[in-house]
Amino acid sequence: MAAVSEDRGELGGQYQLALREYCGGGGEVALLRAYQLGRHAISAGVGVLEMATLHEEALVSALLDLALEDSARIAKRASEFFAECLAPFELTRRGFQEAHAAMRDLNQGLERRLTAALQDFESAQDELLEQKKIERQKNDFISVVSHEVRTPLTSIHGALNLLKSGLGGELNTQGQRLLDAAYRNSQRLVRLVNDLLDLQRIESGTMTFNLRPVDLGSLLEQAVEASQAHAGQLGIKLVLQGAPAGARVRVDSDRMMQVMTNLLSNAAKFSPTGETVVVEACRHDAGVRVEVTDRGPGVPPEFHGRIFQKFSQAASSDRGGSGLGLSITKAIVEHMSGHVGFESEPGRTTFYFDLPEWRRNATREKGVERTWPAGR
Amino acid sequence: MARRALKRILLVEDDPDIQTVTSMALGSFGGYTVRVCGSAMEAIESAAEFLPDLILLDVMMPGMDGLDTLRALREVPATASTPVIFLTARVQPADVAKYKDLDSLAVIRKPFEPTALVETIHELWTRYREAH
Repeated sequence: MAAVSEDRGELGGQYQLALREYCGGGGEVALLRAYQLGRHAISAGVGVLEMATLHEEALVSALLDLALEDSARIAKRASEFFAECLAPFELTRRGFQEAHAAMRDLNQGLERRLTAALQDFESAQDELLEQKKIERQKNDFISVVSHEVRTPLTSIHGALNLLKSGLGGELNTQGQRLLDAAYRNSQRLVRLVNDLLDLQRIESGTMTFNLRPVDLGSLLEQAVEASQAHAGQLGIKLVLQGAPAGARVRVDSDRMMQVMTNLLSNAAKFSPTGETVVVEACRHDAGVRVEVTDRGPGVPPEFHGRIFQKFSQAASSDRGGSGLGLSITKAIVEHMSGHVGFESEPGRTTFYFDLPEWRRNATREKGVERTWPAGR
Repeated sequence: MARRALKRILLVEDDPDIQTVTSMALGSFGGYTVRVCGSAMEAIESAAEFLPDLILLDVMMPGMDGLDTLRALREVPATASTPVIFLTARVQPADVAKYKDLDSLAVIRKPFEPTALVETIHELWTRYREAH
């Protein structure tokens, strides 16, 4: 309070001096002083009424000091001076009102935007939850269906397998053809169920990979050998033309076999009878490339863009299959830091995948699990 | 430890058709003596008298499931350390982790080719004998 009183006292003195100066000689500089004093009063917390008192005191003093005959002029100039001194008060009041109005508009705008953003967020969140729920239900459904189908399929496929192995005795030609058809289609059903479950695992992120360095050449030899019998049934020969000496890749062997089986099976399926499917590996960029080339009719151009999408099959394809194999292949290769692609023209189609080459010095092998001898 | 040949297999499986197919393959192609049990209780009762070299165990069975059956079989002196292979349709990674935790020899996914099953069992048994 003492500080305010002192300010007020000082202000009164300054006001008196400035008013007297203006009343005596006028001039814009003195008027500017009135304006400054008004601002000073605002910052010192002095109100308009108090200013009016100070003005009154200063005016009386000026009238007493200056010549009385000039009283009319003094009164006029004093009014001008006081009006100028009050200008900052007026400006402040208007400014405050405008600022208040602007602030109110701003707040209302912000509130509207915030409400809209909140609504957007809530609806996006609801949508996401709904999507997750649907995704979970779909995965659960696939999982349950696939498990439930497996039990009867074990008996059907097992019985057909035993009959084909001759356990039930010799069948006549017609019986054998029927048995072959049943067995072939039960194999197809087994693949479909396995593919569905693999896809569900990939999409739910639960597919496990036991990555470790393996010799690429040996792996390709095994893959070609494993698919040779199936290709032979279609009259197709599989040939491994070459693999770079000593090349190793860090992969899950079982998954790699799955990739190769998919590619070889597709290549054999689409090749004309009597043709050869060629497997070739080479060093490519910083890694290795494995190519599987067939002599089939080629991938229709309109199908190129979606060949790796799930449930994709060319309209012209009458070869059966789930339409999941290439989508699973792509997901597996990409999970092992690789890339898949293809080049196709009538009479020659090459599907390939690139993988980083594993080098002992460059990559530290860590956390290698003991191989679980699981049947796949 | 025992370095004997694989002769006696206890098959614990509730589905009669899978029992037929599996036991037929094991008996006819593998030449094994197979005892088929349709439930956990039956398996526990048979174990002491049958003295299996190997147990093939289904997982999804009414009543006691395969995991609890294995725990119960471990309490029976005759099968306290008998190697066990799970035969199951439940092969999600989380499931397989549980089978591993129970110290089973392997898991074979259904559906399987019965003729290939015989070969797989032979390989697993050979590896098991080498390790024990």
